[in-house]
Amino acid sequence: MIASTLRLAVRNLGRNTRRTVLSALGVGIGCAVALVFTGFRESVTEVYSRLAAESGPGDLRVGPVGWLPLRSDKTRLEGGEAVLARVRALKGVAVAAPRVRVQGLLAMGTHVAGVELVGVDPKVEQQSFRPVRRVVKGRYLAPGDGAVVVLGSALAEQLTVDVDDQLVVTVVQADGGMESALLTVVGVVGSGSRTMDLALAQVPLATASALTGKPGIAEIAIMLDDFAAVDRMQPQVQAVAGTNEVLRWNQVSVELARHLQQDAATSRLMGGVVILVVLLGVASAQLTAALERRKEFAVLAAIGMKPWRLVTQLMLEALALGLVGAGVGFAIGLPALVYLSTHGLNLSALFSSNMTFEGVIMDPILRARMGWWMVPYTLELAVAATLVGSIYPAIYAARTDPASALRSAA
Amino acid sequence: MSEPLVQCAGVTKTFHAGELDVPALRGVDFTVRQGDFIALVGPSGSGKTTLLNLIGALDVPTAGRITVLGHDVVRLSRSARADLRLHRIGFVFQAYNLIPVLTARENVEFVLELQGVGAERRKLATQVLEQVGLGALMDRRPPQMSGGQQQRVAVARAIASRPPVVLADEPTANLDGENAEVLMHLMRGLREELHMTFVFSTHDARVVEHAARVVTLVDGKVAKDEDRPGPPP
Repeated sequence: MIASTLRLAVRNLGRNTRRTVLSALGVGIGCAVALVFTGFRESVTEVYSRLAAESGPGDLRVGPVGWLPLRSDKTRLEGGEAVLARVRALKGVAVAAPRVRVQGLLAMGTHVAGVELVGVDPKVEQQSFRPVRRVVKGRYLAPGDGAVVVLGSALAEQLTVDVDDQLVVTVVQADGGMESALLTVVGVVGSGSRTMDLALAQVPLATASALTGKPGIAEIAIMLDDFAAVDRMQPQVQAVAGTNEVLRWNQVSVELARHLQQDAATSRLMGGVVILVVLLGVASAQLTAALERRKEFAVLAAIGMKPWRLVTQLMLEALALGLVGAGVGFAIGLPALVYLSTHGLNLSALFSSNMTFEGVIMDPILRARMGWWMVPYTLELAVAATLVGSIYPAIYAARTDPASALRSAA
Repeated sequence: MSEPLVQCAGVTKTFHAGELDVPALRGVDFTVRQGDFIALVGPSGSGKTTLLNLIGALDVPTAGRITVLGHDVVRLSRSARADLRLHRIGFVFQAYNLIPVLTARENVEFVLELQGVGAERRKLATQVLEQVGLGALMDRRPPQMSGGQQQRVAVARAIASRPPVVLADEPTANLDGENAEVLMHLMRGLREELHMTFVFSTHDARVVEHAARVVTLVDGKVAKDEDRPGPPP
């Protein structure tokens, strides 16, 4: 029965080619727009989440218990070195970058700047912290370095220093005493954000520890092999972190995570509006078709077709229309997504040169994400929209009173 | 005396057009017997189509009682009436009303499939189309056929499951004289060969000549009900 009903449904689509083409085009365009929206949403959420993770906290951050509410940099990890070794040995961990932070003053002659000096492991820091990847002058920190510093370009400009210049750094130690030292500038980095470059100052981990007078590691930023595995990896890292606390990037960068969630919700809402428009369009076209075919439905009812069979008939027609619409949607959406994933949408004209949010440098070029997800997504959307949009027209058709419809048609 | 297939007793049907009540049938008493070949005649608006719709369980009367093949139509649910139409009544419409996207054979098969006929429906459809003289055209779709050919397909669809009663509303109205004659001969032949009962409405005096019984409706009432001598050969 289904085979013949489906055959009839498919052939019925060919009866009014113009209406079928327009309906399929409507479904297809709607699907294509939803596809692009979703492609952007998926990409933006993932890219910005990665950017956020690579802007400090890592995908996961191991810190002392109680760090989150106060965000104090004076505490140290329990068994820091051992925890670091255990974390690095975990499968799925790409990089584990230990850090120490200390507030201090950098001075060059009469030029002074208050900064957060970050002690890092030069071997791994560039892999976990994106803003220091682009060295514009000199070099980045290297293993074995001592009293050296790498500055952000805006900070170097503010302090009027260049590579090989020496700075005086003054910090308040754990016991309250003041400590000063000379640091040689070995490199200048450019993150792309002036705001961030004004706050960038990194020294070797041992140098930072010596300056603070408090040994140990304050935090470990962890980058995972698979960003999507954050939730799965958190308990595994926690299991080797002892009494220390393991936080996800979105627990650390709360505002950004909230912003991304809101952005995704807005995007979903927009997608929902598109789907609603498609649905109403399909319902309208199908209802028009049902009204035009009222006499046909009356004849089918007259020869004994049951209402449920008529509903099945029309829903199968909707299914066939949905499949055609999905094909059209894919044909329109795919080239658009290919372009938007390779060239992207450049929003730099809408923003100033500093596209930063909560210390995260945002890429002004938004790129859509492509993947096999597009196939089921388009199919499901087109078919669901046409099926839902056809429910009322199908019920309307099934409720056709044959005598009245035949009388009207006569 | 033949067993009555349809019995109408005091059947009234009133349509409502806004505030206005429009009576279509006013107390019709009428019986259809096994093997009848009845022409319903009368001026436009006399109630011919309404009476056919009631006999065909497409509609229910406003008042009165109508029994079709032992079933009180008023008491049947919508679904039960659909079942009655599907299995026991054949319909032929003035405008043929075939499914345009199906071939002649598929149109006939479609009804058989609705009736739950299995794999043999293709063979049955072929047989019945040959019976109405369309063996060579069964793979054509309705738009590729003449009006007369389409109406013969409609007859084939109506008789495919050998229903006891076939109702035809102005079956020759869209046909020229020659095709109308062919159709009437076909229906008469089927009545004799398959012992079916035909009730058809018509305005065409030449078609009436074929009827074995003529029922005249005027203003929603049976004005005359007469048996005719044997129809022309």
